[in-house]
Order: sequence, then C-alpha cells, then structure tokens
Amino acid sequence: MIFKKRTNSESIFHKRIRKFKGMKRGYYSFIILVSLYLLSFLNPLFINNKALIVKYNNDYFFPVTKYHASTTFNQKGYGEADYRKLEEEFKKDGSNNWVLMPFYPYHPNESLLAEIEGEPPHAPSSLHWLGTDNRARDVFARMIYGFNISISFALIVTIVAYIIGVSIGAILGFFGGRVDMFGQRFIEIFASIPFLYMVIIISSVLSPSFWLLVTIMSCFNWVGMTYYIRGEFYKEKSKDYVSAAISMGANNQRIMFKHILPNALTPIITFAPFALIGNISTLVSLDFLGFGLAAPTASWGEIVKQGISDIRYWWLILSPMGASFTTLLLISFIGEGVREAFDPKVHSRLR
Amino acid sequence: MIPTFIGITALVFTILQVVPGGPFEQELLRFKMASMASSEGGAGGGGSGVGMVEIPEEALQKLKEYYGLDKPAYMRYFIWLKKIVQLDLGKSYKYSEPVWDLITERVHISAYFGIISFLLSYLICIPLGIFKAIKHGSKFDKVSSAIVFVGYSIPGFIFGAVLLVYLGGGSFWDVFPLGEFRSEDYEYFTFWGKIQDQLHHTVLPVMAYMVGAFASTTVLMKNSLLENLSQDYVRTAFAKGLSEKRVIFFHAVRNSLIPLATGIGGLLGIWLAGSYLIERVFNIDGIGMLSFNSIINRDYPVTLGFLVVATIIRLLGNLISDICYAAVDPRIRFK
Repeated sequence: MIFKKRTNSESIFHKRIRKFKGMKRGYYSFIILVSLYLLSFLNPLFINNKALIVKYNNDYFFPVTKYHASTTFNQKGYGEADYRKLEEEFKKDGSNNWVLMPFYPYHPNESLLAEIEGEPPHAPSSLHWLGTDNRARDVFARMIYGFNISISFALIVTIVAYIIGVSIGAILGFFGGRVDMFGQRFIEIFASIPFLYMVIIISSVLSPSFWLLVTIMSCFNWVGMTYYIRGEFYKEKSKDYVSAAISMGANNQRIMFKHILPNALTPIITFAPFALIGNISTLVSLDFLGFGLAAPTASWGEIVKQGISDIRYWWLILSPMGASFTTLLLISFIGEGVREAFDPKVHSRLR
Repeated sequence: MIPTFIGITALVFTILQVVPGGPFEQELLRFKMASMASSEGGAGGGGSGVGMVEIPEEALQKLKEYYGLDKPAYMRYFIWLKKIVQLDLGKSYKYSEPVWDLITERVHISAYFGIISFLLSYLICIPLGIFKAIKHGSKFDKVSSAIVFVGYSIPGFIFGAVLLVYLGGGSFWDVFPLGEFRSEDYEYFTFWGKIQDQLHHTVLPVMAYMVGAFASTTVLMKNSLLENLSQDYVRTAFAKGLSEKRVIFFHAVRNSLIPLATGIGGLLGIWLAGSYLIERVFNIDGIGMLSFNSIINRDYPVTLGFLVVATIIRLLGNLISDICYAAVDPRIRFK
C-alpha cells in the first residue's frame, strides 16, 4: 500500500506497450481496427433506411430514434414511413420540407424487391455498391453490419473462453499433483472432440440465439489456453514472491489471481488476436453451413452460402471474402506485432 | 488413451441425452405424427387437435424398450459402448444401410484430398521455411511473409469459393470443373483420361485445403529453424570448421523439424476439420458431406457414428504425432 504511488521505473508491461507502438504495421492495424469497430456501433447513423432528420410543416422529426407511421407525413401506405420515397416527394412538391437521409440509405434487413427491376440477386450498381442478395437485401449494408456482429461475437467468445481456460489452467498449475493429473485427462477429453462438428450438432438441435451460440462456442473453445496458463503457473509458483505472499498469509485465491496471474499474462495477450481470428472464422463457417446466428442477422457466411449455390453471382462470394479477409488481415498484423513485442525471441545469427 | 476414449464417448452420450430435441425425442415426435395420421384416417378427421393425440401407454413402452430408454442412463451408455466396440454404429434412417458401411464407402474420397494436400503443404512449406530462415530479413523473406499473411487471413472454404468463381466457369474463366470427386462418366474414360480427369478435379479443392495449413507450417518451420540457428551447438559446429550447408541441413534442420512432427498426426485431422466446409463448397461426396447431410436430415445414427469415428481418428492422430515426435527427437523416450 505504501508503494502505491511509486512510478519512477517503467514496468515491463509499459515497455512492451511502447515496443508495440513502435511496430508500425501492427500498431496502425490496431488503431484502424479499433476505430472501425467503435465507428461500427454508429452504423444506424450511416447505413439505414430511416432518415436522420425530417423537417415537415415546421416540425422536426428524428426517425432514427423513434418510429413514425407513414400517415405522420401524409404519405400513402401502411406501417412505417418510407423515407427514401418521402425525400423524392418533398423534392418534387417544392415545399420547404426536407429529409436528411443517412449516407447510405439502405438497411441490411430490408428487402428492395419493389424498388429494383429484375430478379434478385441484383448485380452491383452505383446505388447498391455490392449488389443485393437473393432476398434483394443490400449486400454492402449487410457486410458493414456483419463486421460489427462478427467482431463483437468473436470478442465475447474469446473473453468467456479465456476466463474458463485461464481459471482451469491456473487451478491445475497451482495445485499440481492429483488435481493436475485428473484435470489433464478431463482436458484431453475436451481437446479430442471435433469442435466444429459438435457445435453444429448442438446448434442444429437448439437453433441458438446470439448468447446461446456464445455459450456453446465457449464451452468447447477454452481448452487451448489451459496448457499455456498451466505451464506459466508451474513456473511462477516456485518463485520467491509467491513464498513471500504465502508467508504473509495470503489465501490461495489471492495468490493465484492477484500475485501470479499478472505475471502469467504473456500467453493470454499474445494468443488473443489469433483466438479472435479463429472465432471469426468459426462464425463465418457456421453461418455458411446454416448453423450460425438466427436468420435475419447480417452475416458474412450466409452470403457465401448464397453465392456458392450459383457461382455466377460472383459479388455474393467476393464481398464477404473481401470483408472477412480485410478484417482477419488487420487482426493478424496486430497479432504479429503483439507477439513480437510481448514474446521477444532475439535471433542472433552467426556470421 | 482408453480412459480418454471412454470419457469422450460418455461426454458425447450425455450431451445428446440432455439436449432437448435429441434422438429419442425426435423419434417420439415421428411416432406421434405417424399415429396421428393413422388415427385421423380411421376416425374420419375426428380429433384434429395436435395435442389431442396421446401415444398409447404400451406403444410408448415398446418405443422406450426399442431405444433402451427403459433402462437407467449408465446401462444405456454401456450397451451403446459395447455396440460401438463391435463397430455396430446402427443403421441410417435415410439410407437404411449400416452407418459403418456408409462411412467406409466414402473414407477414401476424403482421405484422397486430405493426404494430397498434407503432403503437398509439407513438401512446399519445409523448403520454403528453411529458405526464409536462411535469408531472414531479405527481400524474398519479406515478400513471401506478406503472401503467407494473406493466406492466413482467408478461411479455406471461402478461398475455395473464390477459386470457383474465377476458374469454375461462372462469369469468368472456365478452367476447372465445379467440383465433385470425378466426372460422372469417369468409368468410360481411357487410363490417361482417368488420370487427367482426376487431377482436374483435384486442383481446386487441394488449394482450398492447403491455404490455411500453408501459412502456419511455413512460419513454424522458419521460426523453429531460426531459433536453432542461434543455439550454442550451431556455433560449435561452425567453430570446428563445418561448411554452412552441413551445419544448416545436418545439424539445425533436423532439430527444427521436431515441432513439425506434431503436425503429422494432423494428417488425420485435416480432412476432418476442413471437410464439412470444403466438401460442401466443392460438392464432394466424402465423409464430411455425409456427416453434414446427416445433421440436416436428422439422421442421428450417422451423426453419432461419425462423431465417434472422428474422435477415434483424432486420438489415433495424437498417438501418431507422439510416435513421430520420438522418431525425430532421440531425446524423447516412452516409459
């Protein structure tokens, strides 16, 4: 407690962060990905079929946040107002009413069957940058919304699986002996189950929601981390600071999570980007097979599934491929940088 | 290994018992539907409510007996296990053929792609990794690293789909067939025609299989060799005047192959893990396709049978890895 404010020497952690910042490719990828991800929470403001602001008869409306029936604006039809049409109507009648539409005025779950001529899927055009899918939904909007969903999903699964994996690995490594032996056998069982197949079987029976799928994935996904954490704990527990903590009367839980864990973080941090890649790929695969997130959710894999049924619709394969490729490439650059910074292996060469 | 096998089968068994809508409930539903149809036919549409039809007590009893549900769970598990050990995986609902036969009929198709892509990726990745390690930091190293990263960032099955778009005769070039194991009239081809046809159908799926493993194997080989090159024994070897070739290829490379030996067990795992996806993209009727369709058709004996077979194969893969490990690294001995 006395030493709480002592910050005169730079910790290893800070040194590593500084080193990571020095690695341009990884660091810039990190900044780009994080800002894109944060920005993607504002998707409804940029890519949406609801107007941002409507000025109608000297009143201002904000349809993004609130439902307005079409009758509010004296528009024909039932249900919610069609703001794209409303914009045209206002322009035509020359009144000083106006509509401010989002930058890309289409919603990922909205069928544009009535608006575009011909049979869906429609090829890319200046209005629909990446065309539409077989239900005439805008592919570009689905890709962008899918980005947010994929990353959020993978992040949550990674975190939950890490919490399970780290706890179990910590227990095995810290207690050792019989606990470790039985635990290892138990882990072996989980490690030998074909992961993807098991998830498919369970989700075929349960047809899971977002959170249920997170639970299922995490249940079978924690194994990898236990090996590293177990090893780290074995290494760390024989060090002096642990003996010091024990002699000061700290209980097991405190020693494990307050003392040892901060020293065993390296594998957690270096593997996180790659775990994220794995989880995104799994989600895409599950969606592709039709056992992923429930139906109207914007997803990359589902579009690939549509594309593979008729490869003439090349935009249905190339768009999700581009989206997932860009995302995964950014993350693997981050992973490369993080690994370099946190797990340095200096390769001295002879000659 | 045997305790692990028992543990895995027990876990799988438990999960399938606990999950609502599992095999028994499915069968019960099917039975309800059937009896509903027959009773409606008999009574002239008398009771039409879905909830109205109750299964007769004795029929339910028989059904339970048929599935062994009249016995306690652990007994059921042992009966099931005994059948598996005798390779009796039950009969498929859909094909009404033994599951074991269905799987063995298709294994060679999946294994064909699996083995070829595995061999090719090792044949390319090991020399590439060695070369990259020797030329560490050179232009070639950087360019090939970029390619490796690109490969790592594309899921194999999406890569396969992209290959199909460009080379499978959609809107672009028509170079390769759309998939499947062989052409339909394969039987009537001449010998050379057969080989040509087979190769023609092999190229794209194998590329899709390889794209993921390619990146990780190359990087693993390179890093492992780099690490070995900075070891003391390499310095000693140089110091006693051995040529660079000899040091690298006879001393360092052998040691750096150790981590790759683990991957040999993956030979068995590769076509299991990727096969659901890639076989579906290329419409190849292998075991991945069989198991995937069994889930869609709710053909539980096939689903379960494949799960058991896949688990056994993975366990065997682990064993093979260990043996290879010992073969490459003389320091490891089994006690």
